[in-house]
Amino acid sequence: MLGTQVHHSTAYRLRRLRGSVLFWGTLALYLIFACFPVYWMFVTTFKQVNDLYNLSNNPLLFHLAPTLEQVRYLFERTNFTTWVANTAEVGLAVVAITVLICVPAAYVLSRTKFPGSGTLGIGIFLTYLVPPTLLFLPLSQLVVGLGLVNSKWALALVYPTFTIPFCTWLLMGFFKGVPREITEAARVDGCSRLGAMFRIVLPISVPGVLTIVIFAFTLAMQEYVYALTFVSSSDQKMITLGVVTDLIRGDVFFWGSLMAGALIVSVPVAIVYNMFMDTFVRGITGGALK
Amino acid sequence: MAEIARRRQFGVNATGGRIGHLLDSEKVFGYVLVAPAIIYILLLVAYPFAIAIWFTMSNATVARPIGDFTGLDNLRAVLDDDIFRRALLNTFIFTLVSQALQMFFGTFLAFLLLRKFRGRRIARALIMLPFTIPVAIGAMAWTWMLNPTYSVINWIGEHAGFFAEGPNWLGEEIPAMISIILVNVWRNLPFSAIVLTAGISSVPSEILEAADLDGANWWVRWNKIMVPIIAPVLYIALLFSLVFTATDMTVVWLMTRGNPVNATHVIASYAFQTGVVAGSLGRGATMSLFLFPVLLVAALLFLRNIKGRSVD
Repeated sequence: MLGTQVHHSTAYRLRRLRGSVLFWGTLALYLIFACFPVYWMFVTTFKQVNDLYNLSNNPLLFHLAPTLEQVRYLFERTNFTTWVANTAEVGLAVVAITVLICVPAAYVLSRTKFPGSGTLGIGIFLTYLVPPTLLFLPLSQLVVGLGLVNSKWALALVYPTFTIPFCTWLLMGFFKGVPREITEAARVDGCSRLGAMFRIVLPISVPGVLTIVIFAFTLAMQEYVYALTFVSSSDQKMITLGVVTDLIRGDVFFWGSLMAGALIVSVPVAIVYNMFMDTFVRGITGGALK
Repeated sequence: MAEIARRRQFGVNATGGRIGHLLDSEKVFGYVLVAPAIIYILLLVAYPFAIAIWFTMSNATVARPIGDFTGLDNLRAVLDDDIFRRALLNTFIFTLVSQALQMFFGTFLAFLLLRKFRGRRIARALIMLPFTIPVAIGAMAWTWMLNPTYSVINWIGEHAGFFAEGPNWLGEEIPAMISIILVNVWRNLPFSAIVLTAGISSVPSEILEAADLDGANWWVRWNKIMVPIIAPVLYIALLFSLVFTATDMTVVWLMTRGNPVNATHVIASYAFQTGVVAGSLGRGATMSLFLFPVLLVAALLFLRNIKGRSVD
């Protein structure tokens, strides 16, 4: 009965089985590593305090009924709603500055040739490589000079230093995708360069502009170093800084509310970045990837 | 007539026409539209950078932001500072170890992601999760997981029998360094993986099949075919990863604040401690600019390498 063929296929099946066990096993292990912190945020957020700080309980599970106590504390007893409002205001200001500066720059850098255009493009790309920790000291003095000490508007002024390079490069990619023939035809019909940009290329590039709006907003929303340097009053903080600094009073960490805030910040950003991941990577790799 | 009609159609009036005419020179149009970006970068990146360089050569403090020229005093003082030297070493250790781990596991993960399997989209979204969460938030979640009293990691480790009593992760030197590297890798691994996935999937399958027929094993296929093709992407990703890991202070500042006894500072966090918390602008700027020459040279080498390859 045990012919060579059957034997052979058993070995083959075993090998395949081993392969797929190995595959799913590794994948599962990595997924646990990647996602556990988020699960932990979730559990911490909804646990009752007596459950959370009871060392005899299995910390991974709920032993008392889940509660919104911590979330309520966050909204009612901290400046959380102010941080949300500040995030919206500063975020929109950053978006406005970024779009006004990036759209024209990206347009000419991607669609026209003038002396120095190539160098300027690379120069803008390289400014993205200038990290906040290099500039926070001089910028803090600049902020003092402008009378923006401890004001959220200092952040609106400074955040475009990283949104502009990133968004310009992303937009250049979008603009390059619009065929030259379209603008050339419009120019032959007597349309000015500016007209061709506003009436022809920009309407087609709305998705590109929306993408940079989203990136400028989320990049500003999650920034930490400049925020920590320029803003110290609770009522001027944006959401990320507020959550990671204000829920610690002296040596006491309000872990439940802290993780509740962390969860509320993470979920929208995570969703957006997942949707735009490939675009984001394209923005960073600056067209080396095509 | 037709001209007027067209002008009306595009809403160009007399003066607008003049400006429009000027703007119709490709040169003028280009410079005018790129000017706001350049001006902004000059004012908020180049000018502060120049101030930072002045700071490195002066005794400026928050109280006296102009300061006096002191030459290389700051550099000498910084190099004499034991905490700074330790921070410099830590920066290299953290950056190189996390980078190596990211490259190794990132490649591994990329090959996992390239397989077609059920639930691939969800798996991909979950794999990306650490990278999509704000750094500060992720660092805080880990700080809580590594809490001296309530550490869930220690609870799991003790109950699974990995150790009898878990370390005080953020309170002891070596565990704290491991924790910082771990969080860096946790966060940046997805980025390496996704860049590598995109790179590898751009390698034409015919070449790989041909190599397969010629009897090339996986190492040869990887080393001699894939790596050279995906090199430009790899280099850019590596450059970003390197610069941002080497200059980041968020993870260290939130998790250990440089402790225990200043053993886990990196250059950036110690520069923040010196320049912002203690208000010594000169010393702080000297520290934060310390790695700049190294990173600049690295960036130029990377970019030249990429350019050289794209010409081939």
